[in-house]
Amino acid sequence: MLPLSLLKTAQGHPMVRTFTFPRMPLHMLVELKNGETYNGHLVNCDTWMNIHLREVICTSKDGDRFWRMPECYIRGNTIKYLRVPDEVIDKVQEETKSRADRKPPGVGRGRGRAREDGPGGRQPKGAGRGLDDSARTTSGGRGRGGSGGKNTGGRGSGRGRG
Amino acid sequence: MSGRKETVLDLAKFVDKGVQVKLTGGRQVTGTLKGYDQLLNLVLDEAVEFLRDQDDPLKTTDQTRRLGLIVCRGTAVMLVSPTDGTDEIANPFIQPDGA
Amino acid sequence: MSTGPGLESLVDQTISVITNDGRNIVGVLKGFDQATNIILDESHERVYSTKEGVQQLVLGLYIIRGDNISVVGELDEELDSALDLSNLRAHPLKPVIH
Repeated sequence: MLPLSLLKTAQGHPMVRTFTFPRMPLHMLVELKNGETYNGHLVNCDTWMNIHLREVICTSKDGDRFWRMPECYIRGNTIKYLRVPDEVIDKVQEETKSRADRKPPGVGRGRGRAREDGPGGRQPKGAGRGLDDSARTTSGGRGRGGSGGKNTGGRGSGRGRG
Repeated sequence: MSGRKETVLDLAKFVDKGVQVKLTGGRQVTGTLKGYDQLLNLVLDEAVEFLRDQDDPLKTTDQTRRLGLIVCRGTAVMLVSPTDGTDEIANPFIQPDGA
Repeated sequence: MSTGPGLESLVDQTISVITNDGRNIVGVLKGFDQATNIILDESHERVYSTKEGVQQLVLGLYIIRGDNISVVGELDEELDSALDLSNLRAHPLKPVIH
């Protein structure tokens, strides 16, 4: 499982059902390299781990000052770590499994070649998924395949994830 | 030009609004966002920098200095947030945020 | 046992991570990528001190960015469970200086 898939799942499943907040976006904690922490709801993230949080509480390095901000954008490379709600990992596993079930054998490669040939405008929506899966299961090209699918797969892969 | 697909945050909604920018190295600036590009270079007008503690350059103080019209280099931008709605608050966590 | 390159062989095993800021985090490796970003499940931090035993802070599910990781190591659970952490004293690690 790729760390960014987990993060993407945290974003792709914006709603966690709880009793008090039936549709509350996932709450995460982000610590930056400078020691500041940000608690907020993950709205969006990308392949560079840049993240967009809403309803944020910022805590200074020493934990003695606090700020509330409606939203903020954090550059990925300033992040030290992210704390993700425990249930997200089960969601990723569910997703990968259900996607693997749907994948007919050999689909990954066939579609992959087709994608190189043209702009990929007339691919079925499932293409992104198939590609993603094959990228996930082969060990060598894993990361690369995943991110390539994300960038070039455009719409298809975006939907697969969201 | 400005609305690149892969940017996580659409800065268009912040144009002509106050933003707070934290830069690598610890500088912290607020100003009115006048422009930006996909590399996160920012143009801020009437920018004000928060001066920092002599002893701990990672700590900002309430002292400021006026910078005027500036460009923030995208590679140095760590964090962008709107100033509108951003306030210092009392400890919102029941226990100090040991996380 | 560990075979093959990289962290693949450690997936689903308990590992110990030392971060650039000198923390020691122990958890189950769930995933990683080319940048050594890692997913740690059921993780906890071990806080070392010379004055009292090792404190364990529960962290849960973490994504640690690769550029903040100094060391990743396999944890021998048998050896580890034989440790009496509450009586272990150690200096905390200093952060990496760039």
